[in-house]
Amino acid sequence: MRVLLAVWAAKLTAALLRVLGRQGTHVPGIVARRIHPGIIGAVRHPARVVAVTGTNGKTTVSNLLAEALLGEGMRVASNRSGSNLAAGIAWALIAAVDWRGRPRADVGVLELDERSGRLVLPGLHPDVLVCTNLTRDSIKRNAHPEYIAWILSSELAADTMLVLNADDLIASSLGGESNPRVHFAVERLPGDTETPTGAALDAMTCPVCDQLLAWDYWRFNHIGRAHCPACGFRSPDAAYRARDIDAAASRLVLGLDGDAREARLVNDNIVNVYNEVAVAAALDVLGVARDRIVSAFDTLVPPTTRFASERIGEVLLVRLLTKGLVGVACSRAFEYLRSFPGRKSVVLTIDEWSERENEVENTAWIYDADYEYLADETVEQLVVGGNRRYDQALRLAIAGVDPDRIRTAASETEPAELVDVAHADAVFNLHSVHNALTTGNATQARLRARLARRAEADA
Amino acid sequence: MSTLTIEMLFPEVANLHGDNANITYLAQCRPDARVIRTGLNERPAFLDEHVDLLYLGPLTERAQLKAIDRLSPHRAALEARIASDAVTLFTHNALEVLGARIRNDDMGYDAAGLGILELEATLAMMGRYSGKVMGPVPELGPEHPIVGYKSQFSMVDAAPGLAGFLTAERGIGRNTTTPVEGVRVGSLIGTSLIGPLLVTNPHFTRSLLARLDPDTEPALAHEEYAIAAYDARLAEFRDERRWHPGERLQKPIAAR
Repeated sequence: MRVLLAVWAAKLTAALLRVLGRQGTHVPGIVARRIHPGIIGAVRHPARVVAVTGTNGKTTVSNLLAEALLGEGMRVASNRSGSNLAAGIAWALIAAVDWRGRPRADVGVLELDERSGRLVLPGLHPDVLVCTNLTRDSIKRNAHPEYIAWILSSELAADTMLVLNADDLIASSLGGESNPRVHFAVERLPGDTETPTGAALDAMTCPVCDQLLAWDYWRFNHIGRAHCPACGFRSPDAAYRARDIDAAASRLVLGLDGDAREARLVNDNIVNVYNEVAVAAALDVLGVARDRIVSAFDTLVPPTTRFASERIGEVLLVRLLTKGLVGVACSRAFEYLRSFPGRKSVVLTIDEWSERENEVENTAWIYDADYEYLADETVEQLVVGGNRRYDQALRLAIAGVDPDRIRTAASETEPAELVDVAHADAVFNLHSVHNALTTGNATQARLRARLARRAEADA
Repeated sequence: MSTLTIEMLFPEVANLHGDNANITYLAQCRPDARVIRTGLNERPAFLDEHVDLLYLGPLTERAQLKAIDRLSPHRAALEARIASDAVTLFTHNALEVLGARIRNDDMGYDAAGLGILELEATLAMMGRYSGKVMGPVPELGPEHPIVGYKSQFSMVDAAPGLAGFLTAERGIGRNTTTPVEGVRVGSLIGTSLIGPLLVTNPHFTRSLLARLDPDTEPALAHEEYAIAAYDARLAEFRDERRWHPGERLQKPIAAR
């Protein structure tokens, strides 16, 4: 009866929120958990439940999976428009039962915040858990990837089928010996090396004998394929593999447990290549026919990317979301910036917005980020704005950026006026998540206007 | 000027929270410095040659136990080093390696440390503490307090007589009931503060450089930015509105 009370209360709360014009994807779950703290386990689940977690890509993978399963004619319960914390998952499960508590969905695809595993996994008991990767995230909240792996492994049921990233030695170690598992990977790419570089390097030693690992290919952070030259330990073999990636033709080859199929490349960013092969692996585990798996990628909408570019006259204006507080994410953005051809000018405003007035941001994370990518000679100017501008400037200088190329401004929007747009082939607007609508938009508008003036003058 | 030798212990596992930038920055202040990176399976250089600064940085919980295991055979040498003039700097949870015990009920172990210091660490894996710390140190006047951050699972209890790295004016010390933060024993400086310490506290770094090599005038790398960043942070640390209840000292349970 208590379960039904929680279900009814959550549904009524959601209805009330809708009447008030609010989305209500989190609060109904809070209400339900208040009435029945174990509601995630007590409410009846869809016939199959897939949880998707990881540091990066969990939203994309869960959305693509849900889309593909809908395309199979299944009734899919998901939290795609809501929260990935316990309350959001509780509400997604409740929304998938009727008022009498009977399941209305065939399958649940639930994105899971990796740190919330402790609260969610014991009750959710997913049939399948997909883990995209586990890399460094917020120092304050996530500590380090081994910690997140410990949380998830501590709460995983022994019979949950694991779909894991073989190119991530931390994620691929999830679970216990009894967990059935399959792995996915992206085969060696032209830009891969055998020598890890950068600040945030985890899983560098053999888990068996502590010897430094040797890398068959190293991609970034601890992503790649490694083996131990001393004891023979090696990364797990992946049954599901992406290879022959042709970004120009938007094609790749997916190896599906020995069955190679050409498929559409949904997005050429390496993280999204991993996401695509993870989705393929999960669909195969769920029993979707392989022809249908391949054809699903023909219609799947590419995930929202974290960059946008537009050409104004002769200059490329690039807006790049550079997630502050997360060094690993910044490293990928900086590396991507460096890959653009030509002379570059950069506006960098990535302070944590929420800590500007009532906190003093702990900037230790910037030393987990590879600002060294910005020391490239093609980056001719960097203008840093915001409270932590001197911390950022110091980090750039330590990374080897010529101090003559660094400017600072107290305001977050003034850099858009200070940056040299007259001599650049590409101008970059790097902002964080929480200042995207304020600083990010204002900077973009100012840069666009300045570049338009330059284009007029050039014409 | 004599070449400065810096040894980083186990950098392949002791590299969390950007703290190895302590050594990157120090080496940029002394471009002549020789930095030795000693891996888990290698013999520490300080056992066989003079090392001006021995450094160990933040570790995962598993790596913390490995560090204890690898340093155990060299406990006496490490103790002798700490008693000498040669400086040793352990940051974040590396300090706990030197203590008597690390207790982690959540992960199911209660491990002996090296036992060089009379302190014990207790970890709460679901109770990570994050906060700011500000306090003066003897090397510098009150106008240049240390500013730093804690982000850790552990709280440390130490013997009453064990001197601290600093006494916090704001923020907590070794645990939530004491303002005494970190450890100073002989030539050892141990602190749980991250930032990294030597990057965010250039005045302290200057004093450390002078101590490491008294014959050379200390010079800070990128001094203009380092000092500007410190001044900006200090001004904000002195702003009462930026401190939160969780960063205040609590009374010991017995006194409540």
